[in-house]
Amino acid sequence: MSNTAPLVKMRNLHKSYGPHVQVLKGLDIEMKPGERVVVIGPSGGGKSTLLRVMMGLEKIDSGSVTFAGKPYISSESADTKTVIDTDVRRSIGMVFQHYTLFPHLSVLQNLILAPCKVRGEKKASAMQRGQALLERFGLGAKADAYPAQLSGGQKQRVAIARALMLDPKLMLFDEVTSALDPELVGEVEQVILQLANQNMPMMIVTHDMWFAKNIASRVIFCAGGVVVEDGPPEQVLGSPKEERTRDFIDRVFHIKH
Amino acid sequence: MNYTFDFQSITFGPLWEGLIVTLELTTAANIIGIVGGFLLALLIMSPVAVVRMPFMLFVEFFRCTPAIVQIVWFFYCVPMLFNVFLGSMTMGILALGFNLMAFNAEAYRAAIQAVPREQIDAGIALGLNPLQRILYIVLPTAFRASIPVLLTNGIVIFQQSALVAIVAVQDLMYQGKTLATETYRPIETFTVVALIYFAVSFPVTQIVGYLERRRQLLMS
Repeated sequence: MSNTAPLVKMRNLHKSYGPHVQVLKGLDIEMKPGERVVVIGPSGGGKSTLLRVMMGLEKIDSGSVTFAGKPYISSESADTKTVIDTDVRRSIGMVFQHYTLFPHLSVLQNLILAPCKVRGEKKASAMQRGQALLERFGLGAKADAYPAQLSGGQKQRVAIARALMLDPKLMLFDEVTSALDPELVGEVEQVILQLANQNMPMMIVTHDMWFAKNIASRVIFCAGGVVVEDGPPEQVLGSPKEERTRDFIDRVFHIKH
Repeated sequence: MNYTFDFQSITFGPLWEGLIVTLELTTAANIIGIVGGFLLALLIMSPVAVVRMPFMLFVEFFRCTPAIVQIVWFFYCVPMLFNVFLGSMTMGILALGFNLMAFNAEAYRAAIQAVPREQIDAGIALGLNPLQRILYIVLPTAFRASIPVLLTNGIVIFQQSALVAIVAVQDLMYQGKTLATETYRPIETFTVVALIYFAVSFPVTQIVGYLERRRQLLMS
């Protein structure tokens, strides 16, 4: 595949909750391999919905998504079924705001569940990979701990490791540091930056502008269910062209005029 | 008070035999209740109304009528209506077991529905298919959450089992009544009977309390 062929191609995505709440109003996004797209924008602007659609967790009214050239999600209209290719879905990993570790499984069991059950990997081999991944994230000693025994930052790092066990071609991060105590944010962001250094394509929704600036190769400002501004981080975060973007950035950084 | 207590005439032999019968009833009813209640929970959560309705009716019948009426009804009406008589012990087990099944089904249903949506989303994101999500995420979590309620329901059935004495099952209560009549010492007899029920129930309620406290810690 050439470098310019898009990894993700979202076409005219429409999504509403009930008859009155339209969350996505014709969203078009293209993402190239190796890009790290940070999506910012006001609450209710469709950021999280966008990631949830991309993960195949939400039906869409209409539009289509292709992934690595393959059709992934499509729907004709609000009355038709949303077709989701589950094989394509398996090449995407996601980490959520509220950790979502399985509380009845130990850290290592959380990691090996999907590889063993979904891919039929041998338990010994999955455990070996899992342990190695935990060591890399500084959690080697926590393999046998249960989620309740971990701090928020540790839980979130385990959740990232769990998603990586399936060798995703794209990682989605949905406000993964929003639920954390401030002093724990750094350790999670470090792990994501580590992945960024290995050129893992990712799509990140965050309110942390410092993190956005540090990790993004591209920033998308999303409001009212459409892409308002799209460009390199220096432009969108530093000198936005659109007024709505500027207003939002100013408010986030508490700049008074 | 000029009543003189006299525990000397209380013989433990028949009470012991009665307790064994009571424990047998309780164990058998709990096996029916724990296994059958689970299947019943799946049925009352069926998206198909025709499947769901009769089982919901079954659950509501047992939840909305007194256990003593259920036992008497079982004992007198089932043999007449269905032309089967299974012996008083079996009938007692079935009546108590069905009652427990109804209550446990509700406990399972509540626990299954309380599994957070996010847990299932995480399962989808990890590529688990719907059956795998149920088997590896929903049910283990729900089963653990329902254990304190199942234990509480189980111990309630242990106490309710005293009601089968009225249909001549020779349980602890039945032996107590017989002994009270024979010895003319009802106060002493029923005091001992009450203490025996208490001695079995109390540790279980303590275990339930411990499990609930531990669970709260785990969930925080």
